Amino acid sequence: MSLISRNISKILFQPCQITAARCIHSNVPPQNAAKSESTEREGNRIKCTLIPGDGVGPELVASVQALFKASGVPVDFESYFFSEVNPTLSANLEDVASSIERNRVCLKGILASPDFGYLGELQTLNMKLRNALDLYANVVHVKSLPGVKRRHDNIDCVIIREQTEGEYSALEHESVKGVVECLKIVTAKKSQRIAKFAFDYATKNKRKKVTAVHKANIMKLGDGLFLRSCEEMAKLYPTIEFEKMIVDNCTMQMVSNPQQFDVMVTPNLYGNIVDNLASGLVGGAGVVAGASYSANCVVFEPGARHTFSEAVGKSVANPTAMMLCAAKLLNHVNLPLYGQMIRDAVNKVLSDGKVRTKDLGGQSSTQEYTFAVIANLKPPQPLKSKC
Amino acid sequence: MATRILFRRNKLMNIFSCRAQSTMSAFEIQHKTPLIKKTTPIPVALYGGRHAVTMLPGGGIGPELMSYVREVFKYAGAPVDFEVIDIDPSDESKQIEYAITSIKRNGVALKGNIETKSENTEVISRNVAIRNELDLYINVVHCKSFPGVPARQKDLDLMIIRQNTEGEYAMLEHESVDGVVESMKVVTETNSERVARYAFDFATRNGRKKVTTIHKANIMKLSDGLFLDTSRRIALEYPDIEHNDMIIDNCCMQLVSNPHQFDVMMMTNLYGSIVSNVACGLIGGAGLLSGRNYGDHYAIFEPGTRNTGTAIAGKNIANPIAMLSASVDMLEHLGHLQHANLIRGAMLKTISDDRIHTLDLGGTAKSTDVVQRVIDHILESDIRP
Amino acid sequence: MSARLLKNVNFKLITNSRLYSSDVRKCTLIPGDGIGPEISAAVQKIFATATVPIEWESVDVTPVKGPDGKFGIPQAAIDSVNKNKIGLKGPLMTPVGKGHRSLNLALRKEFNLYANVRPCRSLEGFKTLYDQVNVVTIRENTEGEYSGIEHEIVDGVVQSIKLITEEASRRVAEFAFKYTIENNRKKVTAVHKANIMRMSDGLFLRCCREMAEKYKEVKFEEKYLDTVCLNMVQDPTQYDVLVMPNLYGDILSDMCAGLVGGLGLTPSGNIGLNGALFESVHGTAPDIANQDKANPTALLLSAVMMLRYMQLNKHADLIERACFDTIKEAKYLTGDLGGKAKCSEFTNEICSKIIAAS
Repeated sequence: MSLISRNISKILFQPCQITAARCIHSNVPPQNAAKSESTEREGNRIKCTLIPGDGVGPELVASVQALFKASGVPVDFESYFFSEVNPTLSANLEDVASSIERNRVCLKGILASPDFGYLGELQTLNMKLRNALDLYANVVHVKSLPGVKRRHDNIDCVIIREQTEGEYSALEHESVKGVVECLKIVTAKKSQRIAKFAFDYATKNKRKKVTAVHKANIMKLGDGLFLRSCEEMAKLYPTIEFEKMIVDNCTMQMVSNPQQFDVMVTPNLYGNIVDNLASGLVGGAGVVAGASYSANCVVFEPGARHTFSEAVGKSVANPTAMMLCAAKLLNHVNLPLYGQMIRDAVNKVLSDGKVRTKDLGGQSSTQEYTFAVIANLKPPQPLKSKC
Repeated sequence: MATRILFRRNKLMNIFSCRAQSTMSAFEIQHKTPLIKKTTPIPVALYGGRHAVTMLPGGGIGPELMSYVREVFKYAGAPVDFEVIDIDPSDESKQIEYAITSIKRNGVALKGNIETKSENTEVISRNVAIRNELDLYINVVHCKSFPGVPARQKDLDLMIIRQNTEGEYAMLEHESVDGVVESMKVVTETNSERVARYAFDFATRNGRKKVTTIHKANIMKLSDGLFLDTSRRIALEYPDIEHNDMIIDNCCMQLVSNPHQFDVMMMTNLYGSIVSNVACGLIGGAGLLSGRNYGDHYAIFEPGTRNTGTAIAGKNIANPIAMLSASVDMLEHLGHLQHANLIRGAMLKTISDDRIHTLDLGGTAKSTDVVQRVIDHILESDIRP
Repeated sequence: MSARLLKNVNFKLITNSRLYSSDVRKCTLIPGDGIGPEISAAVQKIFATATVPIEWESVDVTPVKGPDGKFGIPQAAIDSVNKNKIGLKGPLMTPVGKGHRSLNLALRKEFNLYANVRPCRSLEGFKTLYDQVNVVTIRENTEGEYSGIEHEIVDGVVQSIKLITEEASRRVAEFAFKYTIENNRKKVTAVHKANIMRMSDGLFLRCCREMAEKYKEVKFEEKYLDTVCLNMVQDPTQYDVLVMPNLYGDILSDMCAGLVGGLGLTPSGNIGLNGALFESVHGTAPDIANQDKANPTALLLSAVMMLRYMQLNKHADLIERACFDTIKEAKYLTGDLGGKAKCSEFTNEICSKIIAAS
């Protein structure tokens, strides 16, 4: 404790350093020491890739930037305009991907996916980015917000979704006219990986239960493989309770008794459904933060993916989700006190209930809300963790 | 006798593995029976650039030291998340199993020494149990002198590589007749070869010149003979590396009189225990060195000499350097070289330049003083404001 | 509500001759397992009280070993449904394990039941977190993700095929619009994920759009699956009739049931080329079987749907009203609705209401 209090001022400037990490456990010491050294970033501030996204994205990002400026967070953004609906202005996928790879962190708005690609492509830009970086795990933490009255309260669940295979493989073809086949791919490797991610997440965050959501009663092979992978992984985690639930039952339980869920692990499409459902329960797309993990990078983005494009320019969008994303980002890059500061300010504004955007039943604009959060920024209390 | 039992053991193992293969899935074979050849690798616990690592504080001074490690990591910003598992020394088996499972999941562990209170012959040492279960067949202790630390020998740089799972520690003991106890020493060619290969590979990679095999083949002609023969055979494949051998008693004498002749040393289990403790003593005591245990799939990092230090627990006088350098080894293993160098540099400055020494090095500083100075150095040497 | 009544009156006038005709129609009844027989008996009793001109033909669908060595539905049952073209089914136990095909699936294949209809309506008197829910989910039932085509390409890689055909999509879309008009509803929402599955869901969406052109009087909108999920739990009143492919329908229909209080209260109908099968979709609840504790509402409302399908609207309204009133009065509620009444008491109360009304 004394150690910490002595260093409070210093810890605020505590930067993050991330170096190249090797991916296998073996007894071979790193041979590419020199190489990985050279990929480290220099300079004294953290760089973070920023993708404002479509719809209200730029407005939300502007609030976050204002917030960061006001709280003096030592983070620099490297902004890219990246969009599928506006392909002529959009930055290259390679540029964006390499920037994220270099910076290791990214804050991202939502990209709109039109129903049909301009070039008849089946893959959306979102999917391409995910595949390029192998962002396989999407984590959405759904938690009831203080002071926001909804039908259900005390919801606290984490939805972990595999997002590189399954239904979203973009393998589709029209074998005969009028008959379209869409392939859903499930692999043991990726299923095990996501299952392990979920259990490790549960272990790290001291959670009690992992629920696997599936439809293995119908898709016996595909979802069966997913479920089996989860079951086998569960054996390695004897302290964490494991249960399975069929996806339709799961959605029903979600709307009637959402408090029973803790950590949920799902394949791609079911994850999308459960994410949105759960987000709806606590206040909509504007308040739920999420993150996509690969082995080396993290992309922080709102949990429910809606561009909310009908509200562009009206300044009614709720920047809470983006702010919580930013707080999570700060936690991840070893600036937990800044993260805490922002989270406290958001919670304070929400529980005061005076300034609220339209989606939470208030009348305030995005700017007013942002200013309210900034006004509530307080120097953080030292972390309570034991030394 | 020994060969017969060894034969039986092998046979038993074969039976076991056959049975295991028929009833277990590939996944279970991988994780539950490390002796069987593995097929699919376990997914790595690396998420968004942060590693998950099992932390076993163990007994005695372990918990204190671990808290220092966490403190230092926090200031250095090391991207590692610890999964702390406390093992109650009185509890028989449950938690140790859980700890092993956890290491299997995370692949890497940082470990203090775990006490085994029971002297019952049925209960095997937990440390040994962990090593055997995870097939951590190699233990490496890097004996490098810290300048500024009062010690008998200066500028030592030894690499002690020790077979870690068999030999005298096979734990096959019995009292055949009243008053006559036989203890089995098991040496297998496979394991000897693995150790030899590791030692020579290590020497090649790190630009070392010489490998010395330590043995007692003049007395134990079969067992240590096998070990020696294997190392000689492997040595032929590495013509650039000089290879010699030395008998353990001579080796101990040479170590204290002329340790600079040694470079990389490889040996069986018990000799390794002896040699590493002698070498530790030469450079200034148990509180400085770290040990690394490697298997094909897992790695455990711990203080070099395996003592719990129960006597000095809670008095704020234990030397935190051993555990800190173990954690630095771990960061290197995980590939976080920048953080590793940062912490190691801070440690060196504290010990060698500032001479902040704890009681065991003849100083007066408290453990927390050392840690505080390390943290200060980390913050200063940081390139950021 | 008044509009609804008015419409029913109109209907009555048109179908007058039919209602008072003396021809009694045969209807297949599959009581099912667990609590199935009890609740089927309750429904039969209520129907008898309301003098519905239906003769039940009860069949057993316990799987028997067919000539090919596989277990399947007995031929008698298939014949009965084929003859009567209409059926009512209690909950069935799906045997776990290999060798058995799901009976539900088998029946679905057998009768070509291409559309699954589930109206979810908040019941007055039974308080849930959501009130004023009134949505109908229409789900394509024969293809999509549940086509059952799956194979392991190499070890550890499974590929399942989601099949969308123009024919089936158009069929279910047309049914959705027709249903909307017949039941005096206003809007059809097509639920899809065509931004990700651009070809398959794109095809489904295109078929819906074509039908929307054809039925201009119905309002049509398209929504992403995730948007619907999000909005449904925030404000369910913005949706009316939802039409969607198989898997989405499966998930959303159960979710909507959750909004109004569970599967014990939601009826379900399967419309097919060879007939229609109405069923209760809840489980067999073996733990309360034969204890007179089960709630027959779902099966009863399914039977009411069946009556509407057979255009016996007068009887349908009579029974539905009695059922809703009973629940609203909350004097005789079964355990799952928070009451203490037995199944038989609940049934008797409905019967006495029917007698009083007619």
